[in-house]
Amino acid sequence: MFGCNLSLKGSPDSFMTSRGEYMNILLIDNNDSFTHNLEHLLATSIAGCRIVVASYGQLSESDLHWPDLIVISPGPGMPEDYPGYERVFEAEKPVLGVCLGMQIMNEYRGGSTGRLPGCVHGKTDTIDWFGEERVVARYHSLCVTQVGDGLNILAENNASIPMCLGSENDSLLGYQFHPESFLTPDGGAFIHDALAFLNLR
Amino acid sequence: MTLLHSSISVSREQFDVFAGRMGRDMDADLVLSSPGYPAETTSVIGIHPVAELSFSETTSPDEIKTFCFGTPGVTMGYVSYTYGMMLRGVDSAKPRDFPLGHLKKYASVVEFDAAAGEATISTNDSALLDTLIAQFAAPQSEAQKGVVVGFPSGAPTMSLSRVPYEAGVRETLEHILSGYTYQLNLSTKFSWECPDLDPLALFLALRNDHPAPFYAWFKSGPHQVLSTSPERFLRVEDGHVLSQPIKGTLRFDEYTPEQVAQLTSSPKEDAELSMIVDLIRNDISANCAYGSVRVENHKSVFAVDNLLQMYSDVHGDLREGRDCLDLFLDAFPGGSITGCPKKSSMEIIENLEPHSRGMYCGSVVVIRDEQNMDSSIAIRTGVYNHDTGQLDSYAGSGIVVDSNPANEYQETMAKAEKFLILGAS
Repeated sequence: MFGCNLSLKGSPDSFMTSRGEYMNILLIDNNDSFTHNLEHLLATSIAGCRIVVASYGQLSESDLHWPDLIVISPGPGMPEDYPGYERVFEAEKPVLGVCLGMQIMNEYRGGSTGRLPGCVHGKTDTIDWFGEERVVARYHSLCVTQVGDGLNILAENNASIPMCLGSENDSLLGYQFHPESFLTPDGGAFIHDALAFLNLR
Repeated sequence: MTLLHSSISVSREQFDVFAGRMGRDMDADLVLSSPGYPAETTSVIGIHPVAELSFSETTSPDEIKTFCFGTPGVTMGYVSYTYGMMLRGVDSAKPRDFPLGHLKKYASVVEFDAAAGEATISTNDSALLDTLIAQFAAPQSEAQKGVVVGFPSGAPTMSLSRVPYEAGVRETLEHILSGYTYQLNLSTKFSWECPDLDPLALFLALRNDHPAPFYAWFKSGPHQVLSTSPERFLRVEDGHVLSQPIKGTLRFDEYTPEQVAQLTSSPKEDAELSMIVDLIRNDISANCAYGSVRVENHKSVFAVDNLLQMYSDVHGDLREGRDCLDLFLDAFPGGSITGCPKKSSMEIIENLEPHSRGMYCGSVVVIRDEQNMDSSIAIRTGVYNHDTGQLDSYAGSGIVVDSNPANEYQETMAKAEKFLILGAS
């Protein structure tokens, strides 16, 4: 669980890896139109990080050894439209998945995805974030209907739709909501929380 | 050769009369703005093209940059939606009857500084300078006032009439529920046979009766672009970026403040605009400095064409080493006329719309240098073909999950109204 070392203010800070270097991030873009928003959020929340954006089409040949963190972007469609992510999860690197990225992570662990009753795009919702009420942006037609092996629901909304899934042991974390949207106040705090959960700070 | 400048004190009305005369007698291209709109821009007249770049399938961004930045001076023209499909890797099998883009540089450029009430003529041809100064002093004749000649009565043909348009909306809703698009802009094309049309008179009459901030008149071979857009795509001023996406529309007969509240408090219209704001943030972020991208005046409203339109300002600063064409070509076509996510939505649009958008939903551009440009989203736009005598105009609407097919069709028709009423009268 996130515990008490949450950074909720989202102030830029230097994050050094265990090797004493700045954090290297691979951001995989699933043909999405929010990927650069996520890139800018990571860059402004993690001072000194280096981000490489790779398209989904380059996934099969991407070097997965150098990154300290792999981020899977949102995107159109469903997880089954994006085969080939096994190598990301088998690289034994911390992974953060956003929206479709979370659903891909969940299906890799044997979970399932279905249509979201009352499909939501471009609207905010209030979720319980480890005891705090937080406003987040939602863009999704689909949602996690069955949680994969070893993953826990860490946050959900009032309608019990999973909004955050993760496994602390395996350094996997997924956000169904969009921290990179301008509709999410203080999206950087969710990046800091992710780094804390993934033992990257 | 020295570039000569001459400034003349004129009213906006005088500048407009001069622009009309240049369009009629000097084959000029025009970008004409009106005051009081968020997308107000500098009015520019381009006279006597001295260099032209007509886009083909093989025209590369580097060629466009060389054309615009290789020599000094203002570049004017358009980039088609179809060229945007190529940039984004979306295939189209539809026949093209329109150049993919067309840019020009001119022997003389005349610009109107609205704040100073001053027109500035720039040219390196002293004889042309004298001619243009004399033209400003010439009186306006009745024939220049823009009486529409040759517009046919009766309804146009439509690429998607009501029943198939509403079916397209329903199909879009199914794609939304499956997650392949969150919002999609679905358009229809209106066509009139009018071999006797005087397109410049039509353009000037539209401008007189339906002012908007980004009118453009541009000649491209047999094609004449008549754009009456209210929407800015991207402006760059000394590296500072502004985009002003419009989403959310309410038609009114008599304006009341309550209607503004009705528009801004609608969850559907709010979501429509918010999605596109996130998309535009993303698209400019590709070439903007980290931390520079921000949203201001979210859900502002202005009135144009008896429509209330909601918009937001999205700002950023160009990253070091990037120019306005890097920004433009990476962000093109504008998110408000594709939908979101962009590529997936464009692929669905290509299947749903029987017509090729061509110039419609592309952009009219005025490019000054690497760090300065302005551009419209070419909506509320028509194209007249002098060879075939056909006038086409287009209109569309943004479909989101809570859209109602009949309402979206009505919104589309409201946006086309300024063209449609010409044939109805």
